[in-house]
Amino acid sequence: MRATQALLKRSVWKGPNIVPLPLPRKLPPPPGTPPIKTQKRAATILPNFVGLRFSVHNGKTYQDIVITEEMVGRKLGEYVPTRKRFTYKHSKNK
Amino acid sequence: MVFILGVNFPERNLVKKALQSFFGIGNDTSARLLARFHIHPTCKVGELANKQVLDLTAALSDMKIENDLRRQILEDIKRLKETGTIRGRRHALGLPVRGQRTRTQIKTAIKLNRIERRL
Repeated sequence: MRATQALLKRSVWKGPNIVPLPLPRKLPPPPGTPPIKTQKRAATILPNFVGLRFSVHNGKTYQDIVITEEMVGRKLGEYVPTRKRFTYKHSKNK
Repeated sequence: MVFILGVNFPERNLVKKALQSFFGIGNDTSARLLARFHIHPTCKVGELANKQVLDLTAALSDMKIENDLRRQILEDIKRLKETGTIRGRRHALGLPVRGQRTRTQIKTAIKLNRIERRL
């Protein structure tokens, strides 16, 4: 019923953010294939990604995620946090 | 006393306010409902014709309001958590979900954000 909420999303004319990623030729990929290493956190997860392993950059290292069916339509970066929880480190010498 | 969707409203109440007492219906939606059934905005519950009451009840029973809506919101939060998104994690921690600052001014998030959110 609320039309304006949908307007705050990405423009329709752009379509989803489809990034050319090096997807494996054979599906499903044979065991032992390395995960797809990428820094494209804003890439939309497409239906043909389901079951693949991605190694997504968090700003420092690459974290592995396995794509499931519920993740389709979301972005890769939504599943890899970029912030570290603050922990107090006791230091003796100031 | 008039029954709208099983709830009893006193006759002196405004119809608009009566509709807004349902969870999921606010200013906008109630105004649209009134316009749909040709009810003027300052109409009291007692002034409603019998057919209008039935129409309103039928329209409300089609909409997703009250407990259905509450359940859907909770399911959405739970799904975010189960798929491992950052948003789900922020709900579980009781912190702001949409990138607000957390140094100060996060009392609302601490109070409300959790997996079994109170609605």
